[in-house]
Amino acid sequence: MKRLFYETLEAFRIALNAIRANKARGFLTTLGIVIGITAVSTTMTVMVGMRNSFQSQLSAMGTDVLYVSKHPWLIMDDWWKYRNRPQITFDESKKLKKALGDKIVAVNPSVGTVRPVKYESKTLEDIFVRGTTENELFTSSAVPAAGRFVTNLDVENSKYICVIGYDVKEKLFENKDPIGKKLKIGAYNFKIVGVIEKQGRFLGGLGGPNLDAQVAIPISTFLKSYGRSRGLQLAVKVKDMSLMDDTSDEITGAMRKIRKLKPTAGENFSINRQDTFTKVYDQIMGVVGLVGVLITSISLFVGGIGVMNIMFVSVTERTREIGIRKAIGAKRKTILVQFLFEAAMICLIGCGIALILSYIISYIINIFFTAQLSIGVVLVAVLIAIVVGILSGFLPALKASRLDPIDALRYE
Amino acid sequence: MVIDFRNMTKVYTIGTEQVHALRGVSMTIKKNEYIALMGPSGSGKSTMMNMIGCLDTPTSGEYLFEGQDVAKLTDDQLAEIRNKRIGFVFQNFNLIPRSDVFHNVELPMIYAGVGAAERKSATLDAIEKVGLTERMKHKPNELSGGQRQRVAIARALVNNPSIILADEPTGNLDSKTGEEIMGVFEDLYKAGNTIILVTHEEDIASHARRVVRLKDGCIEVDEMMNGRKVFKKVLVDA
Ligand SMILES: Nc1ncnc2c1ncn2[C@@H]1O[C@H](COP(=O)(O)OP(=O)(O)O)[C@@H](O)[C@H]1O
Ligand SMILES: [Mg+2]
Repeated sequence: MKRLFYETLEAFRIALNAIRANKARGFLTTLGIVIGITAVSTTMTVMVGMRNSFQSQLSAMGTDVLYVSKHPWLIMDDWWKYRNRPQITFDESKKLKKALGDKIVAVNPSVGTVRPVKYESKTLEDIFVRGTTENELFTSSAVPAAGRFVTNLDVENSKYICVIGYDVKEKLFENKDPIGKKLKIGAYNFKIVGVIEKQGRFLGGLGGPNLDAQVAIPISTFLKSYGRSRGLQLAVKVKDMSLMDDTSDEITGAMRKIRKLKPTAGENFSINRQDTFTKVYDQIMGVVGLVGVLITSISLFVGGIGVMNIMFVSVTERTREIGIRKAIGAKRKTILVQFLFEAAMICLIGCGIALILSYIISYIINIFFTAQLSIGVVLVAVLIAIVVGILSGFLPALKASRLDPIDALRYE
Repeated sequence: MVIDFRNMTKVYTIGTEQVHALRGVSMTIKKNEYIALMGPSGSGKSTMMNMIGCLDTPTSGEYLFEGQDVAKLTDDQLAEIRNKRIGFVFQNFNLIPRSDVFHNVELPMIYAGVGAAERKSATLDAIEKVGLTERMKHKPNELSGGQRQRVAIARALVNNPSIILADEPTGNLDSKTGEEIMGVFEDLYKAGNTIILVTHEEDIASHARRVVRLKDGCIEVDEMMNGRKVFKKVLVDA
């Protein structure tokens, strides 16, 4: 035990000396390892980061919500097929709610358009105006940061009130309190009753809409003021995650009945859910990950071969030294460990350089979306470096350990 | 009996050619002997020393080291013997170039697994014995030939081996430095160590108490310095 410890210390010292004596060569050798490990850690960092921000952004939607819309969110086949479907109406929303009864928590119809928004002399163009109901509080995670949200009474009486997004508040009011102020949305005046907390961009990394540059108004007011031609989307909150599929079937049945579809006719509406995004996202990320793994493996393989090569050179150069060490009592295992150690050290140095590079890269990426070099990634990188080092150092080390002491001493 | 070998031969094969370096040598060596191994160049002195030092194994014959049959030992067991029981001093020093004096001397103790504190004091003692305390932090290439050979001796001593083998330890040194080194061996002998040294200089051999002369891979003469012959080969005329 003790002996192993001292021999390991000695191996460490020899490795350090050897690497120090051949800095330039060692550095070139590590290049493949550096590229390989930079590739792994960067891919991992970016994937974890994207996944996290994707998840947190999606959570604004709620995982236990089904969305009834005219067409699927992600149209994989022919878009024309969906073009002629009827829009979903406010009336259908009420009927659906009635049909589903207490099988669900809430139905929230919503509809949107883009209008300029004006407060005193300041105007914001292209603000997304959303007609909604009090039920949005069930189907979305957005919460008023100040004031209140749209209420049942607002909807029933088609009140001209609005709840504004965080960016709208910041840009129009700065530090002033917006509650009670008049806001002109398109051609109509609304009274501000609340501010929604900061939400960020929906699918920010993928260039989705800014959820903070929006205003919400009662849906009845929306339909009255901006027209009834736009289709609605109905968000249905299910009672429990496990009931997603059942509820989806219930909705299909109810909608067919509402629309009086013949048994032979296909549906002319679609039911979407958040995991549609997750699935597509996972598919894309799977490909990205695979490419990452491929690049990583190739560069690690090339790097490993480089290390093996340099270790063979190192063993040959130090044949005499190996002879001396054996002559004074180094065992096979001792020599083996010594060279494995050296190979692992070379790889660890490469790993260190790679981690610094990855840190810089992730720092830059982090400007666009969250990517942080985590301890987990560092540990994986170090582990890979050690494994590559040991694998590529093994044959040279074995060769060294098997040298005959006399032959080695006589080597010129 | 420390060393005992019977009919030991060593044949080197180079391509299809066979070189008979040793042609059946027999010898016994007791504790605290001081032996000079002599003979012309190519007579097999180094080969015999390597066998005795367990660096190499005989082609045939029997070699008992402290009663153990060397042929039956594994590589690692031989390494252990080289580490603990034998101190080897080479003609060309064979120091580790990148390590300083202290580390070179310490190395056999590291391989023996001796603890740090004990190792340090033993290393310092060995270095002091060869008078190199002031040169401890020097690398081999910063030392003279005689100093390097003294480092090699200190390294050979540090694990307290029962025998010290020196293959032409003064071969690369001038005669004055050579005498100094011989002084170190004399002290070691007086301290109870067994010493075998290879030389082809008669005045170096005169320090020994027993002289063995090799010729063409055979022991020709084996005599005590007091004149008593242990062995004398009967030369047969052709
Ligand atoms: N590794 C070897 N391969 C082939 N021949 C060798 C080897 N070592 C020694 N010899 C030969 O064996 C003979 C004895 O060599 P050696 O023991 O070195 O002699 P000495 O030390 O007495 O000068 C010589 O002929 C030498 O050429
Ligand atoms: Mg010789």
